[in-house]
Amino acid sequence: MPSGKTRQKRALPPWVQYELLQQVPFNVAIIDRDYNIIEANDNFTEYFGKWRGKKCYQVYKKLDRPCDRCNSGLTFEDGQARVSDEVGVDQHGRQAHYVVHIAPLKKNPDGPVDYVVEMSRDVTETKSWQQEYQILFDRVPCYITVIDNDFRIVRANEAFRERFGDVRGERCYEIYKRRKKKCPRCPAAKTFKDGKVHKSDQVGVSKTGARTNYIVTTSPLARGSEKIAHVIEISTDITETKKLEEEIIEAERLAAVGQTVAGLAHSIKNILMGLEGGKYIVSLGLQKEDKEVIGQGWEILERNFEKTTTLVKDFLSFAKGRLPQAKMVNPNDLVMEIINLYKVVAKKSGIDLRAELDPKVKKAPLDPDGIHTCLTNLVSNAIDACQMSEKKKCFVTIRTKDERDVLSFEVTDSGGGMDYEIKKKIFTTFFTTKGGQGTGLGLLTTRKIVQEHGGKIIVRTKEGEGARFKMEFPRKRLLALYGKEKHNTA
Amino acid sequence: MAESPQKTVLVVDDEEDVRKFLSMALKEAGFNVVAAHDGFEALDQVKKQKPDLISLDLVMPKRSGVKFYRDLIKNKEWVKIPIIIVTGHARDDLGKADLKELTMSGPGIYLEKPIKPSNYVAAIKHILGMDTSVEEKEAAKKVELQSELKNLVDEVDTETLIKIKEMMRKK
Repeated sequence: MPSGKTRQKRALPPWVQYELLQQVPFNVAIIDRDYNIIEANDNFTEYFGKWRGKKCYQVYKKLDRPCDRCNSGLTFEDGQARVSDEVGVDQHGRQAHYVVHIAPLKKNPDGPVDYVVEMSRDVTETKSWQQEYQILFDRVPCYITVIDNDFRIVRANEAFRERFGDVRGERCYEIYKRRKKKCPRCPAAKTFKDGKVHKSDQVGVSKTGARTNYIVTTSPLARGSEKIAHVIEISTDITETKKLEEEIIEAERLAAVGQTVAGLAHSIKNILMGLEGGKYIVSLGLQKEDKEVIGQGWEILERNFEKTTTLVKDFLSFAKGRLPQAKMVNPNDLVMEIINLYKVVAKKSGIDLRAELDPKVKKAPLDPDGIHTCLTNLVSNAIDACQMSEKKKCFVTIRTKDERDVLSFEVTDSGGGMDYEIKKKIFTTFFTTKGGQGTGLGLLTTRKIVQEHGGKIIVRTKEGEGARFKMEFPRKRLLALYGKEKHNTA
Repeated sequence: MAESPQKTVLVVDDEEDVRKFLSMALKEAGFNVVAAHDGFEALDQVKKQKPDLISLDLVMPKRSGVKFYRDLIKNKEWVKIPIIIVTGHARDDLGKADLKELTMSGPGIYLEKPIKPSNYVAAIKHILGMDTSVEEKEAAKKVELQSELKNLVDEVDTETLIKIKEMMRKK
């Protein structure tokens, strides 16, 4: 209360004054210049213990002389009200944290301070929460910063300070990414706007120029008012994890290449067998002067020369490891192209070919040629499976799905299915069950294209019941590829 | 020795060209040939007429060579039919395991594609104990030795392998 102001001193009935003192939610004590407690309420007694005839420092702090920086003493001198954080001892001998409001009491507004009233409130629990929070804030193995709506760092935890130094006042994007402007698609900006928690993958640059990957979560720090004034940014460094991920993808690619080389030898062996056979039959025919036999042998030779050409072409295109040329396309349109391509062939073989397209499917950044190749391969395999099976009615279905941020294509057939042995082998080496027809590269190429899009291909099959091939493309990875692509061409 | 009746060979392979090739070579050598393109058809043919020998491919759609063999030996009458394996997958994932199973418990002789028709015929004649010319005998013997050696090579330790390599180089 401001001192020196003339105030009407209203007289309340004594019993009301008494009740007021008791009901106020504070521990209240009134002391004189000699530190004697001359009056206190029941709350005070309950909290600090007996006080009659004692000095305030004895009761609050169980000391035998005044505190070093006695705030009440200061108030007696300058008549100013004060608030302070204190640590004392409660009546059970336990350490107590309390906040005390100190106010001067003057009979005469222009005169000296007669008494000081001390109104204190326990904050021990709050204090221990504060300590816990501080430990959490500092020790958690993430970088935590609090930024204002100008993106300036106002608080940072220990981990952050150790890594980036004491950079309060600087902007978060300057520190994390060495940028001069706000990042595009900034999650903190979104949080400032809508007050919700946002999460995103970000790529930053360290002081040494090394690429760093983070997962950033931004949370609003609303302090009661409507507009979000601060946001907490929590970043986890996932650079190591990302590197390992990339190494795995590369290792998989190399493994596929290794298998390819082995498979190549196998394919060539097949062709050689064909040439050997053709050669033998032709020479037999020449020996016997039998034109028909010569003709048969020659046919075999021709077929195998053809196979050699196809093999070389397929292999060369397979060996090229390139990033897919991504364009925003509608996956359902791609599927319809394939349906149109194969509907005549399917009908002729009595196969029911149909599409079950998810209308919720949105455009995606895909390499249209690559996906076309994959679908062609899978559908052609499915049709072959049907033709080879002995079933009267066979169907092939192509489905598209867009759920939980994953785009997928599924090709299902009700043909002969594959037994466990064959299923194990279909993606390894140049495997083909099509007799002399396929080069066996189809599925290997398909898998490679799917992997290049950051996706994966899953097979489910049961002998006698058919097979389902599903290509899954997490949209996050498609976007990453698309971004890289744009970045490269920008 | 009296001229023995014409022997029947069942040729099993999923590729038409291979069936043609092997059939022609056998017919030229005086055999009666029946062909099948997978394990199921092969079993049907055996039921129709018991062959004197079966030339068996390993990796085939619908029913592989190994599965056909397991079916075959269930029948007491057929267990004794000699088999020669002709495969392109002797040493890769697609055929290695199957081949091992077959060579350990049954037919020991196998040929790896691509094969020469003369070797093929010689090996078959040898298995059937038929009259063979000196060249055929040589060729058959060679094929048999090669098969045995290939099997041994898989099992012997590195030191011995090195010794063998040296020995072969010296010749």
